This record gives sequence, C-alpha cells and structure tokens, in this order.
Amino acid sequence: MPDTNKDIVLEISEIYKSFGDLKVLKGISMQVERGEVVAVIGPSGGGKSTLLRCATTLEKVDTGRIVIGGDVLCDNGSYCGKKQEKEIRSKFGLVFQNFNLFPHFSVRRNITEALIHVHNKSREEADKICDALLKKMELAEKADAYPCNLSGGQQQRVSIARALATNPEIIFFDEPTSALDPELTKGVLTVIKELAKEKMTMVIVTHEMSFARDVADRIIFMDGGVIVEEGPAYDLVTNPKQERTKAFLSDY
Amino acid sequence: MQALQSTLIQLAQGLKFTFGIFFFTLIFSIPLGLLVSRGRMSKIKIVSLIFQLYISVLRGTPLMLQLLLVYFGPYYIFGVNLGSIQIGPFNYRFIATIIAFSLNYAAYFAEIFRGGIQSMSKGQYEAATVLGFSKIQTYFKIILPQVIKRVLPSVSNEIITLVKDTSLAQVLSVTEMFTKASAAASAQVSVVPFVVAGAFYYAMNLIIETILNRVEKSMSYYS
Repeated sequence: MPDTNKDIVLEISEIYKSFGDLKVLKGISMQVERGEVVAVIGPSGGGKSTLLRCATTLEKVDTGRIVIGGDVLCDNGSYCGKKQEKEIRSKFGLVFQNFNLFPHFSVRRNITEALIHVHNKSREEADKICDALLKKMELAEKADAYPCNLSGGQQQRVSIARALATNPEIIFFDEPTSALDPELTKGVLTVIKELAKEKMTMVIVTHEMSFARDVADRIIFMDGGVIVEEGPAYDLVTNPKQERTKAFLSDY
Repeated sequence: MQALQSTLIQLAQGLKFTFGIFFFTLIFSIPLGLLVSRGRMSKIKIVSLIFQLYISVLRGTPLMLQLLLVYFGPYYIFGVNLGSIQIGPFNYRFIATIIAFSLNYAAYFAEIFRGGIQSMSKGQYEAATVLGFSKIQTYFKIILPQVIKRVLPSVSNEIITLVKDTSLAQVLSVTEMFTKASAAASAQVSVVPFVVAGAFYYAMNLIIETILNRVEKSMSYYS
C-alpha cells in the first residue's frame, strides 16, 4: 500500500485536467519524499500552475489520483468528502505568486487567524508561533504593520510565514518571486533556501533557473501538459537529455 | 414667533415617523439587499434572472407608485383588507411604507453590494480556502469586511437620499415631518414651515455625513 508509506508526502499519479476543449494536464505522475525539494520548471502554459492548483485543491482533476500526507484526496477523479478535504488542507501550505495576504488584517492576524479559528489554538499559542516565524523571516518588528505598508518581498515572506504557521507536511510555491524585482527576490529565495536546509518538503514552481539548480534536489521539466524530463537538479540543468529541455534551458 | 414655535412643535412630532421610516428601512433593506445581490449572482440561470428582473422593476418605477401599490394593492387586487392591522404602535400605513421603502432600497443596495463583491480578487477566496477557512468564515472574516470598505461611499449616497425620500410617505398620509410641514404651510399661508423642514432634513444629513465620514476614516488604515 503506497498510502501508508511514510516517506512519500505527495503522490500524484496519472492526473488529467481539461478546461473545456483545452487539455492542460495529460497524465502527470510524480512523487515527493519527505524532506525533498522539487522544482517544477517549464514554459508558460505548460501546465505547471495547473498541476500545483490541482495538488492544492483549488482545481479538481478529471481523472487520476492525488495523495497528500497519506490521505487520499482523489482517486480515479472522484474526490474524498468535505471533512477529509479539510483535513488534507491542514497538511499543506501554499504560497501564491501575488501573495494574497488579507489586506484588512495586520501581519500578526494574517498569520494567526487560521491557527485560532481553523486549528483551534489559543491566542497565546498562536502568537508564540507567529513571533517565532516572524523572527525567522526577519520581520519581527512588522507584526503590527499592515500588508500595504510592506515591500513586495516582505509581503511574500509574511505569506510564507502564514503557510508555515500550521506546521504543514509540505509547502507548495507558485512562482514565489515572479511579482518581485531582483532586489526583493533575493530575500525571499534566501528564506526558501533556509527552509530547504531544515529539510522542509517543498514543491516550487519557478522561473529562477539558478535558484532551482541550487536549492532543489530534483527538477521536473513540464511542457504541453506532460513531464518531458526529470532528474537530479544539477544534472538536469547542466546536462539535459531531451531536445525540448535543451531548447528551453538555452534561453536562460 | 408663536407661529414659528408651533411649527417647530408640529414638525418635531412628525420627526419620529421620519426617523422611524429611515431607521426601519435601513435595518431591513441592507440585509435584504445582500440576499438579493446573492440571488442576482446565482449560478442558477433562472434564479439570477428573477432577481435581475426584481432589481430592474424596483429601480425602474417610481417609489411613490410602489408605496401606493403596497398600500392599496392587497385590497384593490385581492380584496383583502389590511387596514386594521396593527403591530405594536405601528398601523398598516406605516408598515406599508416600510415594506415599500425596504423593497425599493434593497434593489439599489443589491447592485452596490454586487459591484463590491465582484471587485474582490479570486486570490482572496483561494488563500482563505487553502488555509482551511469554511465558506461562511471566508465570507464574514475575509470578504465582507473588505466589501464594506469598498461600497461605503456608494452606500452613503443611498443613505442620504433615503433621508430625503422619507417625505414620499406623505402619499400614504403618514404624518411624517413633510406631511406636517405641508399642513402647517397651508394653515399659516407661509413658506416658513417648508424652510424649517428643510433645515431639519439638512441637519439630519449633516449628522449622518459626519458619522459616515468617521466610519470611512476608521477603515482607511489599509488600502
């Protein structure tokens, strides 16, 4: 039973997804082990974001199987019940390209609100978790600030803290630096590298090729709704096997 | 001087009905407006169409006509006499006024709320979803507070208009302030009661404006 295999945090097999006539995912399978960092690269429109959105319950697959942290989200395209889905949502975190912080909440409340009202933690507990995370993100003094008063890089670090707060088994990043200028990108990438060192399980959709090479254990190259090539990060970037991968990487 | 004093007393007596219409209309039309806006945004085509029609008709016909229809309709159309109905201190004249005003204002509020809700980015819903918030939590904690900030200027407009629209209740002989002013003006053969009534309406709106400005300011800590 692969479900009970403790080492696999994310298991995706043979998922298909179409929007109307447009086939976006054509049979994607991948596994992520605990502590592993997997980068997903590829041209825009290749299905990277859709894959991430399917894995994070924001889109429903047509067929295929998704298992997160041992809980089956869907099998053969039929989904688990609402209760299980909620349980699964507490097992992963998602960091969006454009942060999606709640603008009317302070930084602290952005991080603690779900802890208190979804995970039933006390305010004191939630505050403690929040303070520790903000310190880690070097934003300790921003707890009472509002998102609109932060730089893009700071906002993204708050959203990483928000995703980490519930102590998820895996974190997904959807192009976490695409909305940032190079200067601000650095701070966010440093934080993600830090998490990688701590053996946080992560799946990162990114366009930052050198970052993917340095931080990821494995890279998956996607195009046209399929996985064209995958392998150890360094090998794939420096010595791609497939023509399509070579062509894509030569642009970087 | 005596005339002015008696005018003031008479208008002040009408003021309680003016306040009453204003207050109850707000209490009923805002939640009703929220419901109508949800219906209007329903994914079920027929439901959406029904609410679209509701909004269209209520906004497209005179409020005065709607007042008369609600008051006389039950008797003229169905032969049902509601004239003797009394809920607490409120007779059917007053109740019909509140019903017509609430139905009418709900249509305007619904469109304002729809604009506000539809201006929210999808990302706010998605962030709330993956954090595990339920649909109800998402609506009341994340969406509604932001929508309120966005719609407040338009809602303020409607609230101020409502203060002045209360004078339309005159057609149902509700003895609100304007009815009193008209009576006093013709009794005294003077425009003074109208001027005094105008001053009352303006004072009311000045207070409302001040309060709404404060509320708006209290939400300006984020953008």
